[in-house]
Amino acid sequence: MTMEQDIEAMDQFPLGMRVLAVDDDQTCLRILETLLHRCQYHVTTTDKAQTALELLRENKNKFDLVISDVDMPDMDGFKLVELVGLEMDLPVIMLSAHSDPKNVMKGVKHGACDYLVKPVRIEELKNIWQHVVRKSKFKKMIKSIVTTNCVSEGNSDQNGVRANRKRKDQLEEEDEEQEEQERGNEKKPRVIWTRELHNKFLAAVDHVGVKNAVPKKILELMNVDNLTRENVGSHLQKFRLALKKINNEANQQANLDSQFTQMSSLKGLGSFHHYRPIPLGSSQFHGGAATMRHYPSNRTLAGMFSSSLPRNHNDGGYMLQGMPLPPLETLHIANNNNNNKAFPSFTSQQSSPLVSPNNHFVPEGHQGFSPHLEINKRLEDWSNAVLSNNIPQSNLHSKPDALEWNLFGNSTSPNLDTTNQTSFCRDTDFGSPNAAQADSFDPLQMKQQHENILSPMTVAQLLRSSSGNEGLFMGQQKLENGFMASDTGSLDDIVNSMMTQEQSQAEFSEGDWVWVA
Amino acid sequence: MNTVVAQLQRQFQDYLVSLYQQFTELRKLQDEGTPDFVAEVVSLFFDDCSKLINTMSRSLERPENVDFKQVDSGVHQLKGSSSSVGARRVKNVCISFKECCDVQNREGCLRCLQQVDYEYKMLKTKLQDLFNLEQRILQAGGMIPQVNIS
Repeated sequence: MTMEQDIEAMDQFPLGMRVLAVDDDQTCLRILETLLHRCQYHVTTTDKAQTALELLRENKNKFDLVISDVDMPDMDGFKLVELVGLEMDLPVIMLSAHSDPKNVMKGVKHGACDYLVKPVRIEELKNIWQHVVRKSKFKKMIKSIVTTNCVSEGNSDQNGVRANRKRKDQLEEEDEEQEEQERGNEKKPRVIWTRELHNKFLAAVDHVGVKNAVPKKILELMNVDNLTRENVGSHLQKFRLALKKINNEANQQANLDSQFTQMSSLKGLGSFHHYRPIPLGSSQFHGGAATMRHYPSNRTLAGMFSSSLPRNHNDGGYMLQGMPLPPLETLHIANNNNNNKAFPSFTSQQSSPLVSPNNHFVPEGHQGFSPHLEINKRLEDWSNAVLSNNIPQSNLHSKPDALEWNLFGNSTSPNLDTTNQTSFCRDTDFGSPNAAQADSFDPLQMKQQHENILSPMTVAQLLRSSSGNEGLFMGQQKLENGFMASDTGSLDDIVNSMMTQEQSQAEFSEGDWVWVA
Repeated sequence: MNTVVAQLQRQFQDYLVSLYQQFTELRKLQDEGTPDFVAEVVSLFFDDCSKLINTMSRSLERPENVDFKQVDSGVHQLKGSSSSVGARRVKNVCISFKECCDVQNREGCLRCLQQVDYEYKMLKTKLQDLFNLEQRILQAGGMIPQVNIS
């Protein structure tokens, strides 16, 4: 077939597929031929295997597919299958009256693409073209023909045909290479952010400062093999998102609970203070917690209830900058499983610190908790997703770092929504924040180490936080892991204690939250 | 005239019903553009049949020197073609024939061979009648009835 014919054939594939049918039984051969014609294939028949081989050898491109009977007098059908496969690399379908599995196995071993049992039904024949497609040679040919077609549209000149062929061959080669490359790209192993890796990441981020953290620098600082800038970049993004979220929540919390200065241990609450929305790798929340830890301790929650939020937010919302990173070792690297969970959505971390918390923020009283809860929830979600499963559910929200409020300011991040919703119990324990609050003041104090996290966040800012932050408080529980404000070593303890505190925290009463409007 | 046609048609139907589904499929193939397809295939089949039966009977002739391999190959082929054509009864005999072959039961083989011979001749006659009926219907101006054998 000429090039044009080839192209035409390909266009209409599987119609016009060229089949060579071999069977010594005249009856069967005739029937097969008719059936194949009915499928609109182009059929050539022969009753001798030898003839078939000759036909095939004469022009390798003359046929797309071979169907051969197994029991033939002049040559064993299996041998024919083998030869055709070797010499011409064409798909061969075996045909036999035997349905004996041993025969089928033999056929497969000899390289048959398929094994049909007589009587052959037209339905079976209608699908045999799939074997042709499977052969990569065909695929490449299609590709190159299509490309050639585009390139030399309407060129029916002989030279053109030759040139096309040449180009086609080249294209085929290129395609092969490309495929190999792509395959290689696809096989890149996924990077798992282990605790150590995450710690390194945190250290690097800390070193350059959160606001200045760029993947390239972090990568250099981390000095890890097989880590690409892309890996770091995506990790950093997650980290930032988580931190932001935490910060938002924390900000909200801060307004509510001035006592939450001792956030450090508060898993969820800790986040409140720690607005160190540094999603530290898988332990994003851990990172957060860690950062929280270092947040200047504006421990007194009382401050939260003051009209302004300016807790001793040492860094005035410095969330990620300059804040000493919590000792990395305390950063719990969350389960790797969680690595890919969505981090809470933080709006740009570096954005203005005060993100108004949920608009639901009710400075006083009962409603106030929902934002808390939300924030906690978010944080929790994030933590859970990122960190180990030990994220305690803590209602305590450390004072949100003013800086980070913005993080939570945005509406619900999709991430949040998609992360473990399970970890949040919006409806759960946080139901009565007030109560919880009341009960948890102490725990809060215990846990909140970083008070300063709440930078001079105004309530307004808090209020501004988007509803997305709802989960903040809830999430904080999760965040706590990350936001353990306490010193490193105690992070685990804090987490654990937070865990136990969960229930009590959950009972914070909303009423106790004083939001300064 | 119509009654004659109707009668013929009825006869045709009866014949067809007594035949096999595969045969109907063959007929389907014919209807779509290859007018003599069925006739052609069926006559091929009958030719093959007689040839195979002859070969096998020669192989089974002398009791002391039976080439069961050849008999087996013949049976196999017969089985294939009969199933393709739709000659179910012939095919079924082939199955038992093969079993006799496997255990090298000459007597059994001979019996099966006889049966195969009988069956295929029966089929040939029936089909011949069917074709004749068809012709008569067509000549009488009627339509060949399509019978759905399920």
